[in-house]
This record gives sequence, structure tokens and C-alpha cells, in this order.
Amino acid sequence: MNPEPFLQLDRVIHEKGRLAIMSMLAATPGLSFTELREALGMTDGNLTTHIRTLQEGGFVAVNKSLANKRPLTTCTLTAAGRKAFTSYIDVLEQIVRQHKPK
Amino acid sequence: MEPNQAAEHLQTIRTLMERSAIYRRALAPIMTYCGVVGIAGGIAGNLLPIDSGRGFVLFWAAVAAVALGGSFLLVRRQALKESEPFWSPPTRRVTEALIPPLFVGAILGAYAIHSSGDPSMCTLLVLIWCVLFGLAIHAAGFFMPRGLKWFGWLFIIIGCLWLPICSAAGVPSPDNFFWGLNGFMGAIFGGLHLAYGIYLYFTEKRGPTL
Repeated sequence: MNPEPFLQLDRVIHEKGRLAIMSMLAATPGLSFTELREALGMTDGNLTTHIRTLQEGGFVAVNKSLANKRPLTTCTLTAAGRKAFTSYIDVLEQIVRQHKPK
Repeated sequence: MEPNQAAEHLQTIRTLMERSAIYRRALAPIMTYCGVVGIAGGIAGNLLPIDSGRGFVLFWAAVAAVALGGSFLLVRRQALKESEPFWSPPTRRVTEALIPPLFVGAILGAYAIHSSGDPSMCTLLVLIWCVLFGLAIHAAGFFMPRGLKWFGWLFIIIGCLWLPICSAAGVPSPDNFFWGLNGFMGAIFGGLHLAYGIYLYFTEKRGPTL
């Protein structure tokens, strides 16, 4: 077995919660904090921690604004985040391909 | 990581990506347009000499076609303006959710046209249309901003209350039977859409669409 693909898996993205956030953001121009929380069934604290980790990794950008006089936090995937996510998917596909019976 | 685990991961990612692709076309113009068409239909229905169940169903089928066709063009125009594909995955999912109840409503309407066209059948048909339309909107609401599910519920509740209320109040009276039914259709389908459209004009998020 070639261990190379396993070593390429990004540690930040590989965590279940963060991978879910990245997956959702990858399919949209951006999602609000509330939309993410409801879709993923996470608590406020849990989601905040994961988003902060992704933000620190440069994968996610957080924008705070006002909508209808209420604060709105919107998360979007950065260019680096999109690239890392695509690479992560590539690695997963490589792992699956490597073990596919010929 | 095991290969089957990787495959499961890929499947989960795919599911999450599909779920997050919420339909975000601006609904305000579509709702307002449908509202205006519905109200105009209600007024026109009372001005035209509609005196049979068959005429009533055909007339409202034509109104629905105008509303549906116009909505289609509005969505297409938005997609072109944003340089996005019209038949995007969220559009496909919303359409798939809308079709079953609307299909049942259309079949019931076709049956009413084909059958004797008994006017008394129209009261029940209006009730069923209202509930089915509510169900269609509610189903589409799973792929759209949250408020739409409530909008669907409104039609479902009104549809369910329509028959007992009308029976108790004795409306529409046999003297002006179709006047009452056209008025109901115009007020409920037209009025509610217009009210929701106006509400959305003031509250809808402006931004990127999908």
C-alpha cells in the first residue's frame, strides 16, 4: 500500500465538523452563521470554534454586516480554502482508486 | 484512513454540498408578478360571463399558465443577468419539489373539465387547489429561504378552513356562485402572493444568487 496519499490529507480540513463546513461553503457563494448552524446541527460554540480554526488556517473568510438592522455573519470559502478543499477531495479519490479491485 | 472510509467521506461531502446549494433567486419580483396576475384573474373572472364549472376551471388554468410562464421568464432573466446557468441544481430540486402537488392539481382540474363541470364541484376543487399549492410551496421551501415554508402553510391552513367556514357562512351563495369563487381565488392566490412579494421587497437579502 502506498502511504503517500494519507500523508497529504490536510489536518485542518480532515476533522469531521470542519470538513462539513468546508463542504457546505464549497457549494455556495457564502452561507450565514445561522444557515450553517441549522444545516449542520452544531451548537453556537462548536461552530464558532471550527470557523475560527478554518479562518486562522486561511480557508474561510468571515464577514460581519447588518441586515434588517440585525447583525449578520457570513462565511465564505477563500481561494486558498477552495484549493485546499479540491486537493483534499483529490486525495480521497486517489485513496479510493488505489484500492479499487482491478 | 481505510478506502471505504474515504468513499464514505466523499459521499458525505457530496450530500452536504448538495444540501447547501440553496435556491437564492430573488423571489420578490416573482411573487409580486404572480400576485398581480392572481388579482387581475379574480377581477377578470368576475367580469367575464363564466357560468359553468368547466369555464371556471379553464379560466383559472389559463391564469395559472400565465403566472407560471411569467415566473419562468423572470427566473431565466435573473439567471442571464447573473451569467449563471438557468437549470442549476437548486432550480432542479425546487422544480422537482413543486411538480407532484401541482401535477395532482392539474389532473383534478382536467378531470373537472372532462366531467360534467358541475359548479358545486368547483368549491371543493378550489379547496384542494389551495391545499395542494400550499404543499408544493412547502416542499420547495426545503431548498429555499426559510420563510417560504410558512407561506406554504398559510395556503394549507386557508384551504383546510375554507370549506367549513364557507359552509357555515353560506358562501358563495348560489346567486353569485362564481363571483364568490373568483373573488376567493383572486384574494387568496393573488392577494397572498402580492403581500409576500411586497414583504420580500423590503426584507430580501440582496447578494449573490445560485
